[in-house]
Parts: sequence; C-alpha cells; structure tokens
Amino acid sequence: MINARCVGGIWLAAAVANLATAQTLPLAHDPAAHAGMVMNHNVSTLPRDCAEINGEYQFTVHAGTPFSAEFPGTIFGYSEREFAVAPCSRITVTFVNDDEVRHQWMVHGLPRYLYPAGMFHLEANGGASQTGTFIVPSDDRTYLIHCDLTQHMEKGMKAQLVVGRGSGDLWAIPGVSANFNRDTYPMRAAGILIALAATFGAGLALGLGRLRLF
Amino acid sequence: MVGRAFAKATRRDTETLKYWLLIGLIVLALVCAPPQWYPRAWRAQWADWFGTPDYRPLPMSMDMDSPTPESACPEDLSGWRAAQTIEGVEILPSPTCVADNPYAVAAFVRGTNNVSAQTLAASGLTADAVVKGRDLDGDGDPDEIHIRLEVVELNGGSPETAGPATQYAIAPGITPGFWAFAPKFVGMATENFESPVARASLRLPSPAIRVEQGDRILITLENGHYMPHTIHLHGADHPFVDVNGEGNDGVPIASEIPVMPGAARTYELEPRRAGTALYHCHVQPHVHFNMGLQGLFIVEENRPNNWLQTLNVGAGQVRVPSQASREEYDREYDLHYLDVDSDLHNRIQASNDPRLITQSMHRDYDITDATADYFTLNGQSFPYTFRDSLVVVAPNERIKLRVANGGMNRIGLHTHGHKVTITHRDGVPAEPAAQITRDVVTLDTAQRLDLLLDTTNDGLHAYGSGIWLFHDHGTRAITTDGIGPGGHISAIVYEDYIEQNGWPRTQGVSWAPYFTAAYYRKEIPIWESYAPGLFGDAGADFLAVLRLAGFAFSLGAIAVLIIGIVRRRCA
Repeated sequence: MINARCVGGIWLAAAVANLATAQTLPLAHDPAAHAGMVMNHNVSTLPRDCAEINGEYQFTVHAGTPFSAEFPGTIFGYSEREFAVAPCSRITVTFVNDDEVRHQWMVHGLPRYLYPAGMFHLEANGGASQTGTFIVPSDDRTYLIHCDLTQHMEKGMKAQLVVGRGSGDLWAIPGVSANFNRDTYPMRAAGILIALAATFGAGLALGLGRLRLF
Repeated sequence: MVGRAFAKATRRDTETLKYWLLIGLIVLALVCAPPQWYPRAWRAQWADWFGTPDYRPLPMSMDMDSPTPESACPEDLSGWRAAQTIEGVEILPSPTCVADNPYAVAAFVRGTNNVSAQTLAASGLTADAVVKGRDLDGDGDPDEIHIRLEVVELNGGSPETAGPATQYAIAPGITPGFWAFAPKFVGMATENFESPVARASLRLPSPAIRVEQGDRILITLENGHYMPHTIHLHGADHPFVDVNGEGNDGVPIASEIPVMPGAARTYELEPRRAGTALYHCHVQPHVHFNMGLQGLFIVEENRPNNWLQTLNVGAGQVRVPSQASREEYDREYDLHYLDVDSDLHNRIQASNDPRLITQSMHRDYDITDATADYFTLNGQSFPYTFRDSLVVVAPNERIKLRVANGGMNRIGLHTHGHKVTITHRDGVPAEPAAQITRDVVTLDTAQRLDLLLDTTNDGLHAYGSGIWLFHDHGTRAITTDGIGPGGHISAIVYEDYIEQNGWPRTQGVSWAPYFTAAYYRKEIPIWESYAPGLFGDAGADFLAVLRLAGFAFSLGAIAVLIIGIVRRRCA
C-alpha cells in the first residue's frame, strides 16, 4: 500500500470541515486533528531488490530543544541520532514532539520508484506525535535523517539511518560525527602559550646544536 | 711590485667605472619615470625644445565575455497568474510575472480549516496555519481568526555546506542572511532535496496580515528559530496584557519574557479601529527588526461578507481585496521597504554555533556604525522587483497603496509620472485638507502611508500610459551596494505596456547584465552591453609597466652602488 497519505491528519480534518460548516466551527480545535502528517507510509511493498522482509524494527524518537543540552552549540535535537538496521527491514517510527513548535523526521535518498521524492517523512506539530512505517532496500547505505525547518538540522536536528554496514558516517551529527565547517572559539591566554612554545622550541634547537647532535 | 701597482690601478678603474655606472643608472631612472611624474612646466619646456612626443596607441578595450543572464521572467508553469475561483474565492489575476500560490490565497481567505484536502495540499499549508471560526456579528464572515506564525532563517549558516542554507537571493548573487515570520508550510524548506534554494513561499518580507475591525484575533508565535523572539503589534489596538494577565505587548523589558526556541505564545487582540499598522519582533529590536522580523498588519473596516486574505505572502498585489477596498479602489498593493546592512546580515553565515552568532550579532555588531548596503521592496531588489512588485494599473483607476518603511533610513518615495495623495498616516485617516498630493512622500522608519494613486491623465495625477519608475529619491537606495540600477527601484506599469507573461515592455537598454551576479559583483562595465568597447574596461598599458619596472630596477641598482661607495669611503 503505497501512496502519499496522511495519518491522524490534516487531510482528514480539512475534508470534514468544509465551508458550509465554517460558521459553526469552534475556534479551539482538537489538537489531535492538527497532529501533523506521515508521507510515503509503506508497510508491505518490498523494494525491488528485496525478496522478503529481513528484519522488524520499532523506534520511538523524541524531538525538541531539551535534547540539545548534551551537545554544546546546538539548540534542537533528537533523542536518538543513529539507527542501525538490517537490509530489507521494515521500520516503524513513532515520532514524539516534545516542543511547542513543529518538527520533522525526514529520511532522504530512498528509491524514488517506491517513495515519491525519495522521502519518508514524519511531521508532528508541537506536543503531537506521528507514527509511520517504511521498508529499506538491500544495499549497505547510510541515509540522512533531519528536520527541514530552517536551521533545525544546522543547529542539531540531524541523524542517520545505517542500513547493513552503511556507506560511512554523514557529517555534523551530534554525538556521531564532526562538523565540516569548524567555528573559531575564543582562545584565552593563547598568545602567551604560543610564545612560550615557540621559545621552548627555539631553546631546544639551540641546545641540541650546542651538543652537536645534528 | 708590478702586481701590486696593477691591482691598485685596476681598483681605481673599477671606482671610476662605478661612478659612470651610477650616472648611467640615474639617466635610465629619469627616462623610465612616467612622464606625468614630471612638473607640467618641465614637460612643456621639453616639448618646446624637442617637439611633441609621437602618438602611441592607448591600451585597447578588453574583450568582455558576457555571462549568461538568468531568465528575467520565469515561466508560470503552475498557472498561478491566471484569475481563478478556488473554494468559492474569486482570485484576481496576477498582472506580474511571478504570482503567489492561488491555493494558499484561497486557504488564507477561507481558513486552512475550511478548505478541501486537495486545496490544502496544493496550498502547502498546515491545517492550523490560519484557522477561521465563528461569525460573531452574523454579517456573513468569520470573526474568530487564529493565525500561527513560525520564524524562518534564510541564507543562514551551516556546519557542512559551502554556501548558505535555505538560499534566498534578493538580486542576482546577493544572499544576505534574513529572519522572517512565515505561515506554517508542511514539508521541505527548500525547492527539493537537491536544491539549496528556499521554496517560493519562504521569503521576505514577513507576510502582510489582514484582519477585520472588531475580529477576535489570536496570533500564535511558534518560535522554531534558535533565538528568542516576540511579536509586538505596532499601531494596532491591543491590550498590554491578555485575559490571564500575561504579557501581550511583546516587549521583553516591559511586559514579558521572550518566546524561547521550541516554545510558543499566543497574542490576542480585538482591534477597534481600522488602519495600516505593523507587527514585529521586539527582542533586541535594533537587530531582530532589521533582520526582517517585521510585516504589515492591516486592520480593515468591518463590512458584511468581508472574507479577507488574512496573509499576503511577500506583500505586493492583494489578490482578494477587502469589501472596503472594493468600494473605493480598483486595485490594492502592499509595499514594504527594508534596508540591509550586510555587516549585520552576514553574521549568521559566519558561524554556526548559536552562542557565537548571538555574541556577534548582539554585542560585537554596533548599529551606531551601520550603513545600509542593500535596499529591498517586498523582499527584493531591482531587477527582481520587476518580477512581482510592480504596481500594474490601467487608465482612470484608483489604486490603494499601503506603504511601510521597515528600514533604518528615511525614504523619499518618488513616483515618476504621477502625483499620489496621502489618505492615511500611520493608519489614521488624514483630514480632507491634510490629504496632500505630491510626487515625493516621506516615510521615516516604521511609518506607514496609505496612498491613493489616481491614473486619470489630467497632467496632475498622471501623465498617461507608460512604465513609470517609483523609488526612494535618496539615491543610495537605487543601488545594490553602490551598483545601479539596483536597490528597491520598481515601476507603475500600465497594462498596455505589459507583455503576456507579465514582463514590462521596456524600451531602452538591455537588462541582460542586470540579471547576472557578475554585474552586482562590480565586474561588468556599466554600458558595455549596448556600447561594446566604447566604455569597456581599458586594457593594461604594457609599456607603462615596462617603464615602471625599468625605473624600479635602476633605483635598486643605484641604492646598492651608493651603499657600496659610502662603505668604501668610510672604511
């Protein structure tokens, strides 16, 4: 069953509330009606290269600002930042948003014949959660997972899905891999330390020269 | 004996040779020195004695490779420009080249909770982006409006990529960092996974908000940005605290703690008076206001069946005008000006660690030393202003312009070919005698003017059809970092001067250079495109370079010789 569908979701809510009922709608909405969306949910269609489901995984991922505390220099974060699964496995993710703003758990690079835009995507409004399932292909590959709200990935909301042996770590995943662009941080008393080191180096060279060691 | 005498004689000869060499070098230095280094009188005398020097061709103009320009007017593949009726909402055609998504316009009018699944999907909005509730006064339109806004960062930093994240160019190749309020759009912030370019709906300025007088309005700020923010309703009637006694003015030093990253707060108002106001972030406003967290906030007069286009993304043409606007005007445009000090705006790209960014923006940056480099109208500079911020008109029309100046500099807005009438100042109607008609209207920072543009060709209000520019006559603002034409130049364009695709039928110079990043990087001679070679870049003068090299060579040799002679004498 493959389609871009929306669970718990906005499409349903919108379909129910048409213009004719607009005047009678209460302003305060049921939060569940605005929980978010699941895109490219797939519980049964196998990727072409998979004969059968090789593994079954259930992950619960929390998202929010509290998960940045562990990693200085980030603001947003996921509770888990690395997911290792077997090739051709079926993965069910429950995405819980602990913040009061929207967050996403978006996987990129999946086969487009199966997942439009190559994406599996969970999007949860503040305080809401979404659950969806997808099946990964057979090749060893590392997939990007991120929140694509502007600056959320850059400021910490980045993770990776390692299928099989993976294809190497992605950059800039908190707790997993380094930033490619490195910031310059204040170096207090660096001048004194560098001057001392240079003096020590020169002294050592002179001393060795006196001893005619080279 | 003989040997010593020979050596002595050789040394003396060498000494003499050195002096001759020195004289020779000095003559070489004098010959090599560029003629213009000598006093005019000497040169005139020289010419009198020896005649005028011969003609020598000056350096040729350099061959310029003209970079391929971007498409001026991207094709409207989605059919967004056409007049259409969606969800029963009649949406005016967009006369300009680039139009807003009409499905989003329809969803803003009906409420994202009141449209079909298909319309909502086509709008790209979340179901709670603009929620419209009950009709409290029974006049046929909803009076409970709940708007949810997020904060987006355009052209921000990245721990990984070479260029900025979520790119938004205000002119070819110009991508200063911005913050903006934005409606809630589902999915990706960029066009697609392969593109670093922001989706069309994420842009500057923050959307113009339209509400009706007396409506019960909730505005929830869902702060998904990495810095604290608030919403301050500037000039729109609102209580200082909400019903719970919580701060409702958005001012951290007077009413409340700011909304922290990941948190949300709802502001409430029931505006009693109509008028053009603003909303903006009031956290460190000398930084956050200037970064783009500001938008028009328009309170429309109460009318029956007044289904308003609650948000106007990117300001500009109002495709579903209010009932009051339809009564008096043929068209309505929102015009939002902002200027940009690149020194501030580039700071979000310089580091990725929010601690370093906040120190750089709020402590290292000193706005008292600021100068603006870029000038935008509705979030774009010339020539992009011509894509969607033209004021398109027809003869004998009355057009309403709501103009706001969000920049730090005053604007003297000049309309070519027209004299506009000021009908409202800062949302307050001007008395008839004070409704001044002029061709330069002044807006200081944060001021708003409602203008009547009357296209009656009477020699006063309008001079007839054409493409008539409008711009700040303080001429800095018609440049992009000193390169003109740039800045916020736009135009009042009559329909008979608009092509089928929405691009004005200009007559004059080619615009190709203006659609290249190289032009705004100052690499292309201003008039090269239509006068090739005539005002091109002059090539290098190799003879002058040779002369300078000869001059330098002789000076160096002279210095060594003199040092040698002095040392020998002293020894």
